[in-house]
Amino acid sequence: MKYMALIYGNRDRFEQLSPEEREAMYDRYRKFGEEATRAGVAVGGAELGPTRDATTVRIRDGETLVTDGPYAEIKEALGGFYLLECPSLEDALDWAAKIPGAHHGAVEVRALHVEDEGSEAA
Amino acid sequence: MKYAFLIYDDPSGWENLPPEEAQKFRAEEMPRWESAMGELAQVDPGFSGYELESRSRAKVVRVRDGERLVTDGPFAETKEIIGGFFVAEVPDLDEAIRLGAVIPSAEGGSIEIRPVVG
Repeated sequence: MKYMALIYGNRDRFEQLSPEEREAMYDRYRKFGEEATRAGVAVGGAELGPTRDATTVRIRDGETLVTDGPYAEIKEALGGFYLLECPSLEDALDWAAKIPGAHHGAVEVRALHVEDEGSEAA
Repeated sequence: MKYAFLIYDDPSGWENLPPEEAQKFRAEEMPRWESAMGELAQVDPGFSGYELESRSRAKVVRVRDGERLVTDGPFAETKEIIGGFFVAEVPDLDEAIRLGAVIPSAEGGSIEIRPVVG
C-alpha cells in the first residue's frame, strides 16, 4: 500500500535558521531519507520551493486566471513530500513520525488512490 | 525545471456519493484527466502523478516533546484541499502555466505550481 506523507511547515522559521542550523536540518532529512530508503519504505519524494515562488492557475467562466503566490496564504505551507510504501496505515504513521518536519510542523498522511481490483469503467 | 502541480479542489460534490455513482462520476471525468496526462507526457514522458484518497481517511502526525500525536486530517481546514499532484520537468514557467490550465481541476478548483528544489 502506498501512502503520501505531505510535510507542512513554517518556511519563514526555516529561513531564519543559521546556516549551521539549516545544515543540521538537512542532515536530519538525509538521515531519515537513508533509513527509509534502506528499509524499502521511501519510494519517492521531493522538496518544494518556497510559496513565494508559487503560481496559481484557475479557470473561471472559460477564462484562465494566473496569480502569483500559493493557493492559500497559510503560515504552515506544504514544503515537500515522501511517498511511503507500507503494509498498513499504522506503519505509515510510524514512519511519518520520523520525518523531521513532524517535530516542528505537521505531516499529513494520505493513502494513494488505487483502482479496485477487477473493476472496469462503466 | 521541475515543477509540482498541486491540485486543489472541493471534494464535497463527490466524496459522499455511493460507490456506483462515484465510479460513474470517475468514468465521466477520466477522459479529461487522460487528455491532461497526455499533454504532460508530451512535455515530460517521465512525469509522475499521484491521486490521494479522500480526506476522510487522512491523518496528521505531529511529534511534540518526544510524543507522537495523531489527529484526523486533513491538515488544512479549507474547502478546497489537495486531491493529488503531478510532478513534471517543464522548460519554463509559461509552459507550466499552460499545462496547469489543462488540468481539469483548474476549472472550479485551483492548480498551484511550485518549483521542485530537491
